[in-house]
Amino acid sequence: MDFDYFSVDAILAENQKIQCTFKQEILGMGHLGGGSERNIAIQSKVQMPIWMAYTIIYSDWAEFNIPVPFGSRVRNALKAEPCSVRLSNLVGAGGLWYGFGKTIMDILSEEQAKEMSETLTKTFKGRLVEVVDQAQHFAALGQAGAGGSAGNSPQAFREGLDTTERELFSLAQQSAKRTKNWYEESGRANH
Amino acid sequence: MALPQSLRVSVTPPELELVASQQLVEIVPLIAMEKTAFISGAYGPLRPPNKAKVPLWMAVNLKLKKKCHIVAPEWLNVEFLQERVNLETTQPTFSHLPLRFAEIAKVILDVASNDLDNPDKIRSLLKDLREARQAKSRDGLKELDHSELSLPNLCSMEINEIRPYFVQAMNVLTQLVRNPVPDPLR
Repeated sequence: MDFDYFSVDAILAENQKIQCTFKQEILGMGHLGGGSERNIAIQSKVQMPIWMAYTIIYSDWAEFNIPVPFGSRVRNALKAEPCSVRLSNLVGAGGLWYGFGKTIMDILSEEQAKEMSETLTKTFKGRLVEVVDQAQHFAALGQAGAGGSAGNSPQAFREGLDTTERELFSLAQQSAKRTKNWYEESGRANH
Repeated sequence: MALPQSLRVSVTPPELELVASQQLVEIVPLIAMEKTAFISGAYGPLRPPNKAKVPLWMAVNLKLKKKCHIVAPEWLNVEFLQERVNLETTQPTFSHLPLRFAEIAKVILDVASNDLDNPDKIRSLLKDLREARQAKSRDGLKELDHSELSLPNLCSMEINEIRPYFVQAMNVLTQLVRNPVPDPLR
């Protein structure tokens, strides 16, 4: 997850929509909101992808609310127990919760951004050990037995991983598997 | 890059084993050989029953042809490893072991277990050691920081195992931590 110009992750993260409230009337741009009005009226609320919202917010044409995936409800839940929140549900399939948070953080004021950063960092650290633990567990299981019974909490946690965490999961799993294979095989049989 | 993802993040355990095979071990040769030049250096002469120092790969090769006995390194025995296991389970830090002990121990156990005293006990001690150290690196994950990581006494095989996800996790944390200096473009 790096955020340079060519990063596909960054592009995907910027594709999430946030709700903006216009402070000024924008003439002749009503079609962008998808409606039939000619102009975008003051106080009208429009869902906009972040990549477009940047310019509009910096130009002071609109303001935005903190989107639901980072709202106070989610924050409180994360504060209580990071591992029990399903991040993937918050941002949709293939969504980058952390990436989304990072892009939001970049357009927030200093104080809010600090708070946001703290939430993101704490959540990530809180879930990291569990992610790696489960990855290693699955590496040890091998192919068989990877199903697991439905409805148990480790499985719910796995389904709730966001894309960033999924990548970590697979890295840890592959690495553990390779090392385990090496420890167990006896490469001398063919000599 | 055309390399598969798994090879991009770190080297593989067999590659580490290859690197470790360059290290010198002592053997008791059963054949005589003149000093011979290899790409990595000249080894020999072998004069039984005098001990000689040769690289691990050569020792393995000779051993498989039953032309030498491998003398175990001073750390590859039950007493030493038992002491390390005790240290490992009582101290919070990683105990000191040779950098490539896991690779060397495995190679020697694979080909020359009959040259060792009590190889089964050694195997199980090595396993205990590995598990105790794994538990510690898991604890280290909780303390992970975005900017630095110090792993004194961690061995090459262990570093290699945790490298992919530690690096990735630190990358993510770097993105999430608020930089004190604001972006100049803003």
